[in-house]
Amino acid sequence: MSTKAETTELDQKAASTGSVQDIEVDRKALDASIAEFVDRNPEFYARTFQTIHDTTSGIPRVFNIAAALLGPLWAAARGVWGFFWGFLILEIIAWVQIGRGTWGELGASDLAQAERQTNRAEQFLEEARLVKEAGEDPTRFETLSNNLMRAAERSREAAEAAAADSFAILMVGLGLLVVLRIFQGVWSNVTYEKQYTKWRISPQSVSSGFQTQNIIFGVILVLVIMPLTVYRFTIDNVPDWLAVFPANPDHYGLTARWLEGAIDNAAKGGAGAFDSVVIAVRQILDTLSLALIGTPWPVVMAVICVFAWRAAGPRVAIFTASALAYIALLGYWEIAMETVSLVGAAVVLCVVFGIPLGIWFGKSQRAYKFAEPVLDLMQTLPAFVYLIPIIAFFGTGNPPGILATIIFGMPPVIRLTALGMRGVPESIKEAAVAFGASRSQLLKDVEIPLALPSIMTGVNQTILMCLSMVVIISLIGGGGLGKVILEALQFAAKGPGLLGGFAILFVAMVIDRIVQGAFRRADQK
Amino acid sequence: MSETVVELSNVWKVFGDRADETIAETIQRPLSKQEALDEFGTVIGVRDASFDVKRGEIFCIMGLSGSGKSTLVRHVNRLIEPSAGSIRVLGQDVSAMNKTELREMRARDIGMVFQHMALMPHRSVRENVAYPLEIRKIPKSKRWAISDYALGLVDLTGYEDRLPRELSGGMQQRVGIARALASDPEILLMDEPFSALDPLIRLQLQDQFKALVRDLNKSTLFITHDLDEAIRIGHRIAIMKDGVIVQIGTPEEIVTQPADDYVREFVQGISRLKLVRAHTIMEPLGGANTKDLANAVRVDGQKDLDFLIDISIGSEDPLVVTENGKEVGLISKTTLLRGIQGGK
Repeated sequence: MSTKAETTELDQKAASTGSVQDIEVDRKALDASIAEFVDRNPEFYARTFQTIHDTTSGIPRVFNIAAALLGPLWAAARGVWGFFWGFLILEIIAWVQIGRGTWGELGASDLAQAERQTNRAEQFLEEARLVKEAGEDPTRFETLSNNLMRAAERSREAAEAAAADSFAILMVGLGLLVVLRIFQGVWSNVTYEKQYTKWRISPQSVSSGFQTQNIIFGVILVLVIMPLTVYRFTIDNVPDWLAVFPANPDHYGLTARWLEGAIDNAAKGGAGAFDSVVIAVRQILDTLSLALIGTPWPVVMAVICVFAWRAAGPRVAIFTASALAYIALLGYWEIAMETVSLVGAAVVLCVVFGIPLGIWFGKSQRAYKFAEPVLDLMQTLPAFVYLIPIIAFFGTGNPPGILATIIFGMPPVIRLTALGMRGVPESIKEAAVAFGASRSQLLKDVEIPLALPSIMTGVNQTILMCLSMVVIISLIGGGGLGKVILEALQFAAKGPGLLGGFAILFVAMVIDRIVQGAFRRADQK
Repeated sequence: MSETVVELSNVWKVFGDRADETIAETIQRPLSKQEALDEFGTVIGVRDASFDVKRGEIFCIMGLSGSGKSTLVRHVNRLIEPSAGSIRVLGQDVSAMNKTELREMRARDIGMVFQHMALMPHRSVRENVAYPLEIRKIPKSKRWAISDYALGLVDLTGYEDRLPRELSGGMQQRVGIARALASDPEILLMDEPFSALDPLIRLQLQDQFKALVRDLNKSTLFITHDLDEAIRIGHRIAIMKDGVIVQIGTPEEIVTQPADDYVREFVQGISRLKLVRAHTIMEPLGGANTKDLANAVRVDGQKDLDFLIDISIGSEDPLVVTENGKEVGLISKTTLLRGIQGGK
């Protein structure tokens, strides 16, 4: 009974509203909102937007006369800045053509050449006359003069032809301008409607209405950009200050000298500290290279292969053995081991300092906020740039090279350790605290174990970064395979360069495979 | 049953820098949460809450999300510092403890179970259960023995060496309960332990938990957003709304005498059959003569409606209610039906 009643009610409702297609948009509310958005000329834009809304395919049949007449200035007034810049640049191209066509000195260079050639021909004629007076054969000079005269004639013809082209260029420019304006007249409404849709979502951040400051800004931009650019491209002899930035060479010299003095003083002042850093790094490096180079090569090779097997399985072990064979057979063994100890020393230092820093930054949001720009800088600064202060403070050779490598390689392990620490679920930390864990117990039992996968990814990335950097440090006297490449590069020696390059590639691949394999096994545990 | 193990009096928690001002102002004129946020930039979590938990009791705190119940329970082991008020656990003032004493109390006296289990994914089930003991530096052999025993209590023998992720949700939560029981604490804090589980498993665990707590004689603070659950396992229930405890009472009191419309709305859908007892709905005898009811059935005042219906079906006469052997009231069929309806 009740079901039946409900059905009839539903039927009635359906009958009164009809199908979904018949639902009409509330024009009054929509027009009011459009009027609020456009400020001036609301009727026109309400009508236009409606046409755009009703157009389902193709170009909407709307035309904005203001946009067609004013071009980019319309866009500026309406705050459609993307439209403004795009069409400003396109219009400059049109205006440059128009300028060249009307007042540009087309063929001016050809005319000047004709002038020069005529002068030279007259000189030769004069010389011919003198030679004739001296009673010698003037034919050679006369031939030269005639040739030059003919060349001058050709140049003059070219100049006339270029001048005749000016009308065509003017027409192309005008045509382009007209096309651009028509395009703006059509496209402006569509773009403006899109801006309106965005404005509905965030009225604060999307500009709307008709604002005087926008118009002033647009007019200034057009006045600065348009005439100067057109002038530069249409007039041959522009003043120097417009063509080249009027830099004062004294400023450069003074600044550079002052900076040099400052760095020298700092290096002298902190010499003790810098030297002890270098000594400490050298200790680590020497220990590693002694272990890798001092130990008989069969032992080292066997250990590396077995380690690869244990850590990453038989396939990686076979690859490792072949890579080692390549390196050893080409006589790169010792030098490759030097590279490995350089990378090893850098990675050890990165991990020793990076993981505690990462833990700190992971726990303290404020510390991380201060550290983040420094980390960004460490990664974005091109290596060549910080090699210079490193030389100034730490000198040249392997230990300063390791310091440069650390600067480049440390950010990933810091970042990923911090990321891992922040990713530890609050609930698990809370549980440990609720059972009476102290801060150190929390760190040891919960935070580090749970952040470990992320930390390991960071270590792996740091190793790869160090590997790529260890080649570049040959520029400041670093040894290893990088030095081989650098020497090959300096003498454009293709053979040695490629062989050394492959040796580095194999070292990198072996380390990467072994480390990734080891981490994957640790992850699965 | 009478000894108090947990006692909170006038506990406030206000988040934000101007907590003290907010409390002082709110005592004078009751600010709403929104007003406190607008005027002081503070968020009131708990407002003047007082209750106590007796030994062996399951005390439920029931409220919807955002009502402050989880915040309130975290004051007991001072995972959250109170803005005002005093908290006593086993006679000791929790606010006065230093860090070491606090850690010791958390490890020894309080076991906690969390809604999202919060098991350590890298440790086996056994090592998870043994973690509270590990914190207390109990030797490994002892830890293992105790955790195996605790896992036995929750029927998880045979899963000791599995990782938590290999277990189902219900089993993981039982590991959580075993972990809370491992250090044999006096008090259990249960923070919506069964909310994330499906209904059937939830019922099973509720019964299992109730029996376990009774056998081990633990005192429990049980947080839930589900009134059915609170009524099922709680001896007493506190109902919270917007940081305020609206009513504290036994399940029967909550259902039969709701303190305000908010509680009334909640208890509407609750079945009264197992809750309401004979002495609540009976008409007092008031010295009336029961001689002509000599053949009528006598029922104890503590029997619930479900039981009364069964008896009443087999008897024409009204039921005579007795308490301690004395006849105290009558329940006619009409009274019984009205009682089931909820007293119209």
